[in-house]
Amino acid sequence: MDASQAEREPATADSPSLGQQLVAQMGEITRARILDLALANARANLPAIREGQSLKALRDMEIGEGDKAVVIAAGPSLHRKQVAEQLLAADYDGAIIATESSMLYCLRHGIIPDLVVTVDPHPSRIVRWFGDPELTEADLQEDDYFQRQDLDSSFAKALRTNAEIIELLEHYGPQMRIAVSSSSASSVVQRAHQSGMQVYWWNPMYDDPNRQDGITRTLQAENGLPCINAGGNVGSAAWMMANAVLGKKRIAVTGMDLGYYADTPYRNTQYYYEALALAGEERLEEMYMHIYNPHLEQWFYTDPAYLWYRDCFLQMAEHARCATYNCTEGGILFGDPIHFTPLADFLAA
Amino acid sequence: MSDLLKGNFDTAKPVVDNSEDGQTLEQRFEKEALKKLGGSIAFVAKQEVVWGDEDAEQDD
Repeated sequence: MDASQAEREPATADSPSLGQQLVAQMGEITRARILDLALANARANLPAIREGQSLKALRDMEIGEGDKAVVIAAGPSLHRKQVAEQLLAADYDGAIIATESSMLYCLRHGIIPDLVVTVDPHPSRIVRWFGDPELTEADLQEDDYFQRQDLDSSFAKALRTNAEIIELLEHYGPQMRIAVSSSSASSVVQRAHQSGMQVYWWNPMYDDPNRQDGITRTLQAENGLPCINAGGNVGSAAWMMANAVLGKKRIAVTGMDLGYYADTPYRNTQYYYEALALAGEERLEEMYMHIYNPHLEQWFYTDPAYLWYRDCFLQMAEHARCATYNCTEGGILFGDPIHFTPLADFLAA
Repeated sequence: MSDLLKGNFDTAKPVVDNSEDGQTLEQRFEKEALKKLGGSIAFVAKQEVVWGDEDAEQDD
């Protein structure tokens, strides 16, 4: 057990809480939920993939000065720590890789990411980060996922924000590259193309690619795209690409909280309704894990999906051929071999 | 339930219990909730991080 695990709730060892039990099942639960959809999307995307470019093409490009990259994810610290302002003030000229969920934040601050990454196959939610021309008030009433969360609170003003991102992408899209996973929904692919973004295709790994009859190997044979271990979420995939595709050796991640500030109401967490359904109002607390961040001397809490992301990330970081700096300045992503450091220090080094 | 409730008439058609595998409403509710949990995409616990791109492959 590493130090970070020891800091979890004492219930871990003998009587894991409901949330901790779910963390152990997250890989399986995720596969069950996304696999059929992701592969159906990959099949539907095949004509576009055949006409498009592979992520391999990025390996021949000089993206950003030097060996540094900054990954911008959409966690709550992104706003609290003023990441964009810091990048601009430092005249940072290394690579900037953004998750699709932080694209609006970047563009609003006058930052055009060198690369945007998208991977989640969800049929209606992910396109919202690109602006959904079909979005109606009825859609918003049906799914309050964005409004409840603090990923980008401006989505509470959803229709206005939707129009804004459409306009921003119309203007800046042609200057942007995007790594689109074959698993992406057709609505996302359509928006990326419509807005004139330069699309680079890739496959997420679904299983061991060395397995002769495996899903990853079969998919790669079908569409010819490189397969990347995406680590369960788009932020980790972006970090992976900074190193394995762009060849950056010093990589900072920002906005990668993988958790919530202690003052965030449970209702504003990503799986609140599901947590409520599983645990009930009385046992809701058991769905969440409270973690003390010794670098910040501050408590945060997290849910099973985020804690799983953290475990995956730490596993990947252990084998990565780069130094990883967590410059989020918040959240639960710490532990060997990650350097937990302020963004200002990374930018100054 | 059929042991507890007795009707005083015969139904025109046989009544079939459609509940899934005898699961309670609460269990079905939990099952549906579990389906919506999880991450965005798979994670493969493997040191090889890129595959199918000969220039980039990292195989320890």
